[in-house]
Amino acid sequence: MEEIVFGIGITALAGALATVAGAAEDTESDIGSQGDPNSQVQLAPQMGYIHRIFNKAVAGEPPAYGLWVALGAGLAWAFMAMQINPILAIVLGSALAVFVQGVYATTAYLGRTASLAKFGQPVYIDILKSMTTVTMAHAFVAIFTTVAMCHLIISALGHPFPLPLLGLVWGIALGAAGSATGNPFYGKERQYQEQKFGAGVPISASGNIVRYAEAGQRNSLDNGFFSAKLGGPASGICFGLIVFFELWRTVVFEELNIWGPIVVGVVVILIFAIIDRYIEVWARKNFGPYTAPEEASS
Amino acid sequence: MSALGGPKQTGGVQSPTAIGIVLSIVLIVVALGLAYFLVQMAGVLALVGIIIGGVLVAFGVHFVPVGGAPAAMGQSPGIATGVAMLAAGAGLAGLFGGAWAAPLGLPVALAGGAVGGGLLMAITCTMVNVIYVFGMGIPAASGKVDKDPITGDTFPEYKSQGTEGHGLPFISWVGGVIGGALGGLGGTLIYLELLDIYQAQLPVLLNATVEQIAPVAISLAGIFAVAMFLINAVLAAYNITGTIEGPHDPKFKRFPRAVVAAAVASAVAGIFAIGLLQLVGVF
Repeated sequence: MEEIVFGIGITALAGALATVAGAAEDTESDIGSQGDPNSQVQLAPQMGYIHRIFNKAVAGEPPAYGLWVALGAGLAWAFMAMQINPILAIVLGSALAVFVQGVYATTAYLGRTASLAKFGQPVYIDILKSMTTVTMAHAFVAIFTTVAMCHLIISALGHPFPLPLLGLVWGIALGAAGSATGNPFYGKERQYQEQKFGAGVPISASGNIVRYAEAGQRNSLDNGFFSAKLGGPASGICFGLIVFFELWRTVVFEELNIWGPIVVGVVVILIFAIIDRYIEVWARKNFGPYTAPEEASS
Repeated sequence: MSALGGPKQTGGVQSPTAIGIVLSIVLIVVALGLAYFLVQMAGVLALVGIIIGGVLVAFGVHFVPVGGAPAAMGQSPGIATGVAMLAAGAGLAGLFGGAWAAPLGLPVALAGGAVGGGLLMAITCTMVNVIYVFGMGIPAASGKVDKDPITGDTFPEYKSQGTEGHGLPFISWVGGVIGGALGGLGGTLIYLELLDIYQAQLPVLLNATVEQIAPVAISLAGIFAVAMFLINAVLAAYNITGTIEGPHDPKFKRFPRAVVAAAVASAVAGIFAIGLLQLVGVF
């Protein structure tokens, strides 16, 4: 019984770490403009809209986070093998991984933006200076929490994978959950804030992203401020729930019966099916069918 | 014939060609022969497991509703990320569960892998709809069908002007969960087959006990399972080309070609994974 209580505690802690990781991951990718909405950031200058948005999408979020978390986990693992305290080892490993992320962000921004030179898009050095460090700070939070979660799963719950491999697995899952949940909010709600609320962006409006803020030109820090309100926390809840349920069903129910975690997993999937269907029906009832706006949006 | 001499495009759905199938069968038979030569019957059985696992992964990817960049602007239905990436996220979460349950036997581990992958997709797809509905005020509407095959909901009147649909209709949600489950199942099967091979060979090669080589065997099997998973997910993504809504999408009918390609790719890549230790021994 004590073992189960201990397991539940670890599960809750891992779920909490995953929630923070998901929120930081989505905010980092929105400040760096790394998700799918970046297609519009890349497209805008080609349509004549010069902007001051960061642009580092040379890899999708899942493989990028797979790399950074595996790197952080691998280095932490090496430091632990050198008898360094695990907390310090994870901090050091994550910090070194973040430098790789910083180099990636810098070269990606310079490369992607320089490729738009013939459309008149300048490379803003002040953007590079002010935003790279902010994405690095968010990336550190995401990497540190994910590596710490992986370490807990191995050392306290006894998962057989070594730390770097588990880092790769959960890094890719973190990127998948963060990009799936957070991208539409950054893409539709922020980049196309001028479009009507409650409808998709017409394909004809592609590239016409919002480029001006309350004062002066909008930059990616404004976008991070916006997506930290809903897209980030929702991504955090998504990844936190995934990690929590994945661990919880095994930790609690494996003792009762070896098929217990599987049955509970299926039940949880069915519960989410009901929640999803409820949300879908709620939206259809409350929002109603699409009606064209009286004034054509730009 | 196109300018490059390739076959004529037939609206996206293209059956595997006869020469492609013959070549595939030859490659698979050669791979099975090599497996027998290297590790005898155990190698053949492991390779068959790996091929089945690879085919399950590639087939499963076709179920996953992926909208890519347009979905991030509410311009097309699906999840706003890449096909291979999302499938990899789900499949690897499945592999995490499957590997944890490996000591409990093959059926429990496989079911654990499938449920793990399905669970990730169930939560992710639900959160996608939460963002679409509560963050953006957009109800789900498919662009490929007028009616949801499961719930019977109609879509054309809910679709925003100038878009191909948006959000995740229930059929896409179900497709996502099935895709995640198949990916988790396939990835776990590949992992378990490779783990068996390494656990049998490593003690002899390193002159150690099974317990002593366990970390090495688990790491090797895990890395190869992740690699094989990505090979098959990317192959399927090339077959889909861009976005897919799920099992109701006309593009779903393209899966036979991906299944054949995945079988060959898994056989060829699998033989390197199975024969790894023999190759190490040679050098």
